[in-house]
Amino acid sequence: MKLLLINGSPRGKSSNTKILLDQFKEGFSKAENRFGVDEMYLVKEKDRLSAGRLLLKYDAVILAFPLYTDSMPGIVKEFIETIDPERLLNHKFKLGFIVQSGFPESHHSSYIERYLIKLTDRLGAEYLGTIIKGGVEGIKIQPKWMTKYLASFHELGKQLALTWEFDEEIIFKLKNPVYLKGMKLTTYKLLMKTGLSNFYWDKQLKENNAYNNRFNKPYLQS
Amino acid sequence: MKITLINGNPGNSNSSFQGYIKRLENELAQVGIESTCFNLRDKAIVPCTGCWGCWVKTPGECKFDDITKLIRKEVIRSDWVLFLSPVIMGFTSALLKKVQDKFIPLVHPYIELVNNECHHEKRYEQYPKIGLIYAPDEQTDHEDLDIIHNIYRRFALNFKTEFKIFRSIEEPLETLTHEIVAN
Repeated sequence: MKLLLINGSPRGKSSNTKILLDQFKEGFSKAENRFGVDEMYLVKEKDRLSAGRLLLKYDAVILAFPLYTDSMPGIVKEFIETIDPERLLNHKFKLGFIVQSGFPESHHSSYIERYLIKLTDRLGAEYLGTIIKGGVEGIKIQPKWMTKYLASFHELGKQLALTWEFDEEIIFKLKNPVYLKGMKLTTYKLLMKTGLSNFYWDKQLKENNAYNNRFNKPYLQS
Repeated sequence: MKITLINGNPGNSNSSFQGYIKRLENELAQVGIESTCFNLRDKAIVPCTGCWGCWVKTPGECKFDDITKLIRKEVIRSDWVLFLSPVIMGFTSALLKKVQDKFIPLVHPYIELVNNECHHEKRYEQYPKIGLIYAPDEQTDHEDLDIIHNIYRRFALNFKTEFKIFRSIEEPLETLTHEIVAN
């Protein structure tokens, strides 16, 4: 049994998607059942145009990507277009997905999840599930208590090696919050009112001496 | 009224899209609507690299000087953007999606709540209404179209506008032009 992890992030090896996949891979590799695992990146044009053919070699494939304008990044769609469903007709395999977003609510990713379920069907694969996690954009600067969920990706990898299934309960927990409500909504409203929610962007704008230009409208200025 | 057409058909230039767009442009001109068409096929497009330079280094502008710069400039000065694409593997083309990904310089990184959901703030005062003209392939079914419709509605919401037109290339052109004029 062999697993392929496909990183569909345009940021490739420096992506937040990689941080999640690394955890998943470690969990998978350290489980008692030792199966082979390969990984590949779609960021290189040559790789994404040849990746479709690789699916035949694996028993399970996980495609992971960040939500880009409410769906898959263009490079991920380019990869999907290279897959020939007819070549997969006699190949039994499982297909699962990881979709991460900057927006904190997982609701944003639910629309592409529907597409991914349909895609799995189109490819004649068995659907493992879609792991959705919001609020990932700041992962590299967030304190440890905010990234405790990484352990869940580790556990999901381990469970996959043991059962060849995604653990539904963990997926359910990672999806939270689906919508902002109650205390979370109140907190967000407060963060926005005080401008604290802009901190992540303001810090970078200031470091780049671009803070004063942050409201630029370059296409109306010439 | 000004319309930008973005043709995301990756197929050869003699396909039905080319003829459709010609007829559409004529039809629009007849009712006094100015249109500009971008044919994406064979254009060099640098896919978004997720560098966020357009938000935190050169606000509003992508560091790659490709065709999408011209497209953004036209788009933000338009009343309508009509995307055109065949349905491939249940969604619009990768060629078109690569251009849509590069719309993000047109919005601001700051987040606001819209219907209690997080969305990006506006960068510009006004945004064009959005439409999608698709060409179904043999595999396209109602579920595919519903999925595409919903994703484009979400795209419009994040692009501070509305998704107003969703039509097949097989429908009569007059229906489309009426819809544009009426909206």
